[in-house]
Amino acid sequence: MNEPSLARTDRELFDVLTSPSRILDYPPNSRAYGRIDVSLRAYWHSTFDICPELLELSGPDGMTIFAPFMEWAREQGVRFTWSYYLWLYRWLRQSVFRDRLGDELLISLMGASAARWAIRDRGAAHGLAIGCAATPTFVVGWKCRSLSAGRQVELVELDQPIAVGDAFFGFFTTPGSEIAEFPGWRSLPL
Amino acid sequence: MRIGFNFTLTETTEMVRRMIAEGHIDYCELLIDNFLCVPPAELARAFDCPTGFHIMFSEFIDEDLDALENFATRLRPFIRDMKPLYVSDHGASFTHHGVNLFHLGELDYARDYDRVRVRVDLWQEMLGQRIFIENYPSIMEGGWEAPRFFERLMQDTGAGALFDASNSVCANLNCGAPLEAWDKVIASTNHFHVAGYSRAVNPPHIVHDSHAEELAEDTLAFLRGRRHIFDKPDATITYERDGNIEYDSIIADLRRLREIFTSGTEERQDERAIACAN
Repeated sequence: MNEPSLARTDRELFDVLTSPSRILDYPPNSRAYGRIDVSLRAYWHSTFDICPELLELSGPDGMTIFAPFMEWAREQGVRFTWSYYLWLYRWLRQSVFRDRLGDELLISLMGASAARWAIRDRGAAHGLAIGCAATPTFVVGWKCRSLSAGRQVELVELDQPIAVGDAFFGFFTTPGSEIAEFPGWRSLPL
Repeated sequence: MRIGFNFTLTETTEMVRRMIAEGHIDYCELLIDNFLCVPPAELARAFDCPTGFHIMFSEFIDEDLDALENFATRLRPFIRDMKPLYVSDHGASFTHHGVNLFHLGELDYARDYDRVRVRVDLWQEMLGQRIFIENYPSIMEGGWEAPRFFERLMQDTGAGALFDASNSVCANLNCGAPLEAWDKVIASTNHFHVAGYSRAVNPPHIVHDSHAEELAEDTLAFLRGRRHIFDKPDATITYERDGNIEYDSIIADLRRLREIFTSGTEERQDERAIACAN
């Protein structure tokens, strides 16, 4: 049997489940610590398993990116929806890593966001396009529309970078199985 | 007992078809919300066996009502056309103050009961369908209160439990909540899940339902010891594997389940008769 917990219910820990710093308020051998650790690992794997290029910047444990980004995300109110990879890129642009960012990482994170939307969104839209002011490539995620095709992420190359309004990233959704019209870029949700 | 396998992504389509063709599974459980953009007729043709529906991200307890109705509107044609063996969903918290919990949170069974009850009634009404709610693999003390919560919820709403046997084993290992406390829930439902779990390397060695390993011996022992209340006509047990997808490993587990639920039929009938008499 484990040692008594510092919290009784799971809900008592909800506020700290995204915080690599606040886990340190709990003894490492407590169940509460273990619970928060399970949660943090889920965010870690969703980040670095999907975009292993990030580990080339951070080192093998990822913590020089993961710990400060998670705390910044808490402060900014990032909700860890499909867009969180894009918020991660925005954080990277103002971090100590800002001079080491390349197009490959940018496209990888845009693709990760599009893929996450395609697997996680429960709205009626079939596709989501993500554009960025820094690249002429935009990314489209498609939900599974047939068993033979599955979920898909497409790269669309344009001649020049896209104007996405005032923001660095923009997105739009499409109701059908192809992009029949351009409804205009929307700003990134938290 | 019918034995099934979970189908979550198209990458495993051919593997599931092979399981069906080789007689390892009797039905297939679709993580249905991943396939709502697939024409229902195509999905119905996908597998030559009955299907169950498991809903992952309805978030029916907390979701905005318009969004939930929109989701139900798109799900109902699949239920109507495919007539699944069951429709199940999750009794868990998906968000906290709008922030997505990547490892789902456990309900506060005392504090959340009334609002969960209201939402279960509503969700069943929206779907026009009885739903089966899955229990959570407790890490904290909620595991002690979960069985009674489910008993009340089933009684008050007419919903069923999708009883995940390995989740209850996780709770038992993490917080000590006894497996026997689930007997009434197990006896009152026909639909079950089971999977492998993983254990943290460092103390206090938290156990969580990873769906990436073979079944643990304590999970198999639980099924064996309680098979007289698990096994019923039309009962289903879905083996879940979402990581380390290795065909031979999965088949080995499916065979273990088959052995538990097909061996000793006469003895099992005796056990059931004794259970009824009691």
